[in-house]
Amino acid sequence: MSKEVTHLALTFNGGIHVEEHKNTRGCVVEAMTPPALVSIPMSQHIGIHAEPCVGVGDTVLRGQRIGEVEAGLGCPVHSSISGKVIRIDERSTATGARIRNIVIENDGRMEVHPDIAPWGKTLADTTTEEIVEIVRNAGISGMGGATFPTYAKINSALGKVEHIIVNCAECEPFITANHRLLLENPGAVIGGLKILLKAFGIRQGEIAIEDNKSDAIRMLKELTEDSELVKIHVLKTKYPQGDERQIIYALTGKELPMGKLPADVGCCIFNAETCAAIYNAFVSGMPLVERIVTVDGDCIKNPKNVLVPIGTSYRDLIAFCGGLTREPKKIVNGGPMMGFAQWDIDSPVTKGTSAILALSEDIEHPYEQPIACIRCGRCVRGCPMKLMPNYLAMFSMQDKLDMAEQFDITSCVECGSCSYSCPAHVPISQYIRATKIKVIERSRAMLIAREKSQNK
Amino acid sequence: MTTEQNNIQSDITADTAAPTAVVDNVPAAEDTDKNAFVPELLTVTPSPHIRAADTTRTIMLDVCIALLPALIFGIYIFGLRALTVTAIAVIFAMLSEFIWEKLMKKPVTVLDFSAVVTGLLIGMNMPVSVPLWIPAVGSVFAIIVVKQLFGGLGKNFVNPALAARVFLFAWPAHLNTFVSPDAQLSPIAISVPDAVASATPLVALKNGILPTSTSLFNAALGYESGCLGETSALLLTAGFIYLLVRRVITWHIPVSFIGTVFLLSYIFPQSTPTLDFALYEILSGGLFLGAIFMATDYVTSPITNKGRVIYGIGCGALTVFIRYFGGYNEGVSFAILIMNLLVWYLDRYTKPTRFGGAKVGKAKK
Repeated sequence: MSKEVTHLALTFNGGIHVEEHKNTRGCVVEAMTPPALVSIPMSQHIGIHAEPCVGVGDTVLRGQRIGEVEAGLGCPVHSSISGKVIRIDERSTATGARIRNIVIENDGRMEVHPDIAPWGKTLADTTTEEIVEIVRNAGISGMGGATFPTYAKINSALGKVEHIIVNCAECEPFITANHRLLLENPGAVIGGLKILLKAFGIRQGEIAIEDNKSDAIRMLKELTEDSELVKIHVLKTKYPQGDERQIIYALTGKELPMGKLPADVGCCIFNAETCAAIYNAFVSGMPLVERIVTVDGDCIKNPKNVLVPIGTSYRDLIAFCGGLTREPKKIVNGGPMMGFAQWDIDSPVTKGTSAILALSEDIEHPYEQPIACIRCGRCVRGCPMKLMPNYLAMFSMQDKLDMAEQFDITSCVECGSCSYSCPAHVPISQYIRATKIKVIERSRAMLIAREKSQNK
Repeated sequence: MTTEQNNIQSDITADTAAPTAVVDNVPAAEDTDKNAFVPELLTVTPSPHIRAADTTRTIMLDVCIALLPALIFGIYIFGLRALTVTAIAVIFAMLSEFIWEKLMKKPVTVLDFSAVVTGLLIGMNMPVSVPLWIPAVGSVFAIIVVKQLFGGLGKNFVNPALAARVFLFAWPAHLNTFVSPDAQLSPIAISVPDAVASATPLVALKNGILPTSTSLFNAALGYESGCLGETSALLLTAGFIYLLVRRVITWHIPVSFIGTVFLLSYIFPQSTPTLDFALYEILSGGLFLGAIFMATDYVTSPITNKGRVIYGIGCGALTVFIRYFGGYNEGVSFAILIMNLLVWYLDRYTKPTRFGGAKVGKAKK
């Protein structure tokens, strides 16, 4: 990394240094041979599920709307290939929920739906409402992993925001999908940002990027040199730098209070690939039907960055990368720090899948029996939320919900830094997660009980 | 894998990828080459899926390595008997842990090296002239009574080595008789009753005079009488730097501990010149060994940095208080043991404010 970028690097307190494993940083994004079948889930994000608007036996085209949301928080779903709907069934997705899938058999033609056309007007003539509508119709949701419907994020933040930030931190090990996107198609990311700026009526947008991507930083700086529209912020490479709370802190010095949205402190944050998807929807009219996925891990024969049609199974994707060289212990959807271990290799890639990792026991450290906490303090030092994870784990083991609540267990963001750094291999974040749910449920029950007694 | 290799690889596969037959969703027999390694069952656990390389064992080994320079110096100036004393302490610590865990049918944790650290610290806190059964009794007491009876590693509320040392004060004549360097005692005799006693610098300081037996330079180097592993402030500091570099401990406790002793001795000197007196106070006795290796024991010290500074200041103030007004010449062990008892309260009242929990958003630095 170059010196001129590092000495300015912004960051947050706490956090950990994780071995980067960015093996695919040099791998040019390859478009995948479309698979014989895709299985497209009717819900790929937070919010209500879409209703299928095609039936078994129907012929669908690429970009055609196949799932519809009438009202409420949710996005339409589109076909990523052309072909025939052969069944509609239920399948578990990355997070484990059973979700309705439309299974489409590929006819090999990749015929694009005739309605797909560029947005006719110039950006200057486009109103905020029209931009929100374009984003919603394209089915765009956050592509960094949290998958909040993007149109809803824009709507809820309109008028409150002074910082529009593109999150290019990519602090998870292994994943280089955003990095490659920035190198190969920076125009789309910057273009998407400009569309967002127009929607919000803001003069300057900000791009936040970790200093381990110096080539992308140089490129972005060159591209935006003469432009007042975009400002590049270089962040220190540290996990979890890509958490929006930590990005807001690094850029503005503001701590996002618990239970508040970034818009409440004047910030709105978009993932780099989400911006590119917005740009694509604007210039070509093509909804979100494919995304870049980093396929890596020590069991993958040829680790790659792949442009994958949504709905492709992990099995097909791994086969496209040469298959497996040895038996993986885990297949992870997302990064190794916060991703979900999968039990079904035939689950589909969704809008939120940034990586598919096949990890053997060598990387996924052999799970030794946890031993006693020696209070070394690594978890306290590394907690980005400034909690005391060792005590939270202890209270969890003893089921002391009051103490856990006093020690702010509900603030935990489940980044996993504590479990990662624990030399005694105590699954700290797992304890915290389980107890956090209990604490939240208990306070909810107490609230309901109080309301009931007041109503009597 | 390097970037270059990756480029080559992706070039190769880009050529060969196109005709690849795409497998069906349902694994069929002919897919076996691509799916040969798909396991029947995948492991599913919550994230994270990777871990740091540090383990309890590597940490304890680092502490042992950091103790070695001072121990080797102790053997060099006090003779091979220093090695015998330390070895007995270590062996008995490991043996009592092993036998106890076997008897109690618990997993045997001798190889985590925590008992080795306890043994080393007990040994290094002995005068070289002690009868050889003393370190053995100390180690058995430390491991069985202070550590295992409270639940084993991580559960004891006072430092085992220190508690054992204080227990051994039941034999004050053995624990408080020091010989001068170069005494060259028999390395194997059970006891050495005819060893010629020599006053440590602490005795002079207690009486309000500067020690004449050793210069400040020798006190820093460690060429003075005292416990066999405590004399060389210089080499103990080298161990401290090693632990800092390896990120095993933070600077907070040792610096605030030693700093407090220095400041209090400088402000309330018992002798002149003030600076010399204060320097002798910190370089004599077990202050460096205690502050760097015993007060920083994870299990019995605070986990927050703020708590660590308060704890260090408390240790320092109590040390000076006991040295000035107590019946013993040295107060480091008592000071640390007393502060051990306050750790939970220090942790609790120095709990960091959670992110986003401050009343007013902090302005940008």
